[in-house]
Amino acid sequence: MASLSARSRSCRVLVLAAALLTSGLAASPASAVLRVVAATPDVADMARQIGGDRVSVVTIAAPTQDPHKVPVRPSFATKLHRADALVVQGLGLEHAFIPALIEAARNGDILPGARGYIDASLYVTPLEVPSSQNRSQGELHPLGNPHFNLDPVQGKLMARAIAEGLERVDPAGATTYREGLARFTDLLDRKISEWARLAEPLRGVKVVSYHQDLIYLARRYGLVLVGTIEVKPGIQATPGHLEELLDVMRRENVKLIIREVSYDPGLAQSLAERTGARVVPLAVMAGGLGAEGYVASLQANLEALVAAVRQSASP
Amino acid sequence: MRSRFQPGRSRAASAIALVLAFAPAARAAGDDAKPLQQQLDTTRHELSNTQAELKSTRSELADLKRVVEGLKAPPEPAEPIVLRAPAGATARIPPVNADNPAVSFVVDTALATSTHSSWGSIGYPDGWDFTLKNAELFISAPIDPFLRGYASINGTSDEGFDVEEAALVTTSLPWGLAVKGGRFFADVGRLPHWHDEALPFVDRPASIDRLIGGESGSEGVEVSWLLPVDLYVALTGGLYDAVGAENLEALNENGFFGRRSFDELNVMGKLHAYFDLTDTLNIEGGGSWVGIPRSQERNLWAADLTLRHQPGTQSAYQGFDLGAEWMWNSQRFTERDATGAVIGRMRRHREGGYAYIEAFFARRYSLGTRFDFSESVDGPVDRARTWSAFVTWKPSEFQRVRFQFDDTWGRQKTNQRFTVQWTAFIGSHSHGFAQR
Repeated sequence: MASLSARSRSCRVLVLAAALLTSGLAASPASAVLRVVAATPDVADMARQIGGDRVSVVTIAAPTQDPHKVPVRPSFATKLHRADALVVQGLGLEHAFIPALIEAARNGDILPGARGYIDASLYVTPLEVPSSQNRSQGELHPLGNPHFNLDPVQGKLMARAIAEGLERVDPAGATTYREGLARFTDLLDRKISEWARLAEPLRGVKVVSYHQDLIYLARRYGLVLVGTIEVKPGIQATPGHLEELLDVMRRENVKLIIREVSYDPGLAQSLAERTGARVVPLAVMAGGLGAEGYVASLQANLEALVAAVRQSASP
Repeated sequence: MRSRFQPGRSRAASAIALVLAFAPAARAAGDDAKPLQQQLDTTRHELSNTQAELKSTRSELADLKRVVEGLKAPPEPAEPIVLRAPAGATARIPPVNADNPAVSFVVDTALATSTHSSWGSIGYPDGWDFTLKNAELFISAPIDPFLRGYASINGTSDEGFDVEEAALVTTSLPWGLAVKGGRFFADVGRLPHWHDEALPFVDRPASIDRLIGGESGSEGVEVSWLLPVDLYVALTGGLYDAVGAENLEALNENGFFGRRSFDELNVMGKLHAYFDLTDTLNIEGGGSWVGIPRSQERNLWAADLTLRHQPGTQSAYQGFDLGAEWMWNSQRFTERDATGAVIGRMRRHREGGYAYIEAFFARRYSLGTRFDFSESVDGPVDRARTWSAFVTWKPSEFQRVRFQFDDTWGRQKTNQRFTVQWTAFIGSHSHGFAQR
């Protein structure tokens, strides 16, 4: 009897604890703000600019990380679990962390193809789409080069896809998102003209980069991509490849090595010392050079490139 | 915009009406036609201006329309209209591989040599040994909006081919729930449910092999709940025929195939939590229990802790993993005499675990060391301690070469083993979040 009574007491305690937990969870204030998880700082900034106070944005990748190597942190799974929308840059850029996090998040609303899955690459015309899916060509992205965020004209298309995605998830905020998109697009339009003038010295400049991620930037401002420090995308440099690259750099008189900030400066510096080229760091994700936000980061990139070109030209 | 051209247009219309109204009079008037001619010229001039203004306005409107169209979704590309089926076609036949899942194949091969003869229950091979450690065909795909399925079919030099996993997992249940069913690795501890090729070492630590019975293979059902709190906390409960690949194999070889009372099924409970200490430093831990509650035939407890530094950059130093796991097993075994006759039941309390650290460097190198302590789950305690050092190099994301040295010692014997492992991944290979 005593045992039964003790068991009954235990049951009551358990029920009480469950009730407290449930009430505690229910009591947490329901927020009217749209909970957005953004895969990269670029799409996070765009979502903030477009959504304003109507959205609360959490970013997964840090500005100086390699977007192909962002660690899968379970703390983001909980954020994704409660997210109303997930914004990705797309074209497979986030293959290292988004699929695993989505799997852990258990949120059907943000699965690829669902209403809350916002793909910023939707209207972008990809470059370097591989003609064959063959890993002998390195770690190629089957849908094309995903580093289109470095071109502000593509940035406008990204913003449009994000605004439409936010409106899809939250139709009541349509006016906010449309106005936000118009403001952001206006700002980019002004900057695109300004940057076209700023980037004049870059036209025809031959460069080497670490990774194959500058095609959109090069096409916009007329840089000439001569080679990469990696043998092929994702394949680390071999001594033989570096010797070949040195020959090419000398032959083509390459004066600029672009080092994406997530990569080790050692190899780029060593190539620079042997060729007389100048190393310039570049942010492949917004904030990588310290300038907060998408527009400021593109501005910082351009200013760094132009400054390096001018320094290379001066005796 | 309308106000820009309306007054001009109305003036012109009035003028034309005026001209038409007074035309006969003008003809009759003869010499009085001059002022009217001037008025007509003026009107013509105004009409010409109005037409130019209208043209300009239309052009501006067209520009604005283009801008507005640019803000809308791009038009769908026009589909070619096929009026006639190609010659000889009798039906629309979809491509045979249209619904194919993601498929990958892992080749995991090794060369090992030991300096001493076979060492008791740890079972290192004596002499030189080329081994196909694992040839794994992995298939996975969403089945519908609510479910995904995967299978892992393995072949090894030692054990032939086997369906290691074939399971279904829900993807869209509410309240943070997920259900998994079929044959799969039960979510016990940390490394017990990792596939061989995903381990940070050449081999599975002896403590896991001995206390769990190999990887945590099972047939059953698991339900996990991601708690609705800011921290990552997950609770998992499972019901299985058995837990441990060797236990499951023994069960099936004995003709079990599901025939036993409900009370004899294995039950599992696990709590798993994760904390970000800083933006790049995090810790996660778990506590698991596997048992048969009514008969108390087996109780296995496991605790695991992992500290990781993950800067996520390509710099010279790229972080480290520090992991440890300890297991306690309490299990009843049948005692037999020399003739094989059953003489009774004996409960054994055995324990073991491992700790390791692996540091990652640029250009895909890593260095690590591991210590393992294990006891035999049955029979004599047979304690073994193993110290290991390993170096891994990944020429690419899909190829890995690893060298490992193991020094094992017990009460009487020691054994040194050298292993070179070469692993390659063909196709789209990922065991997902659990083995990150």
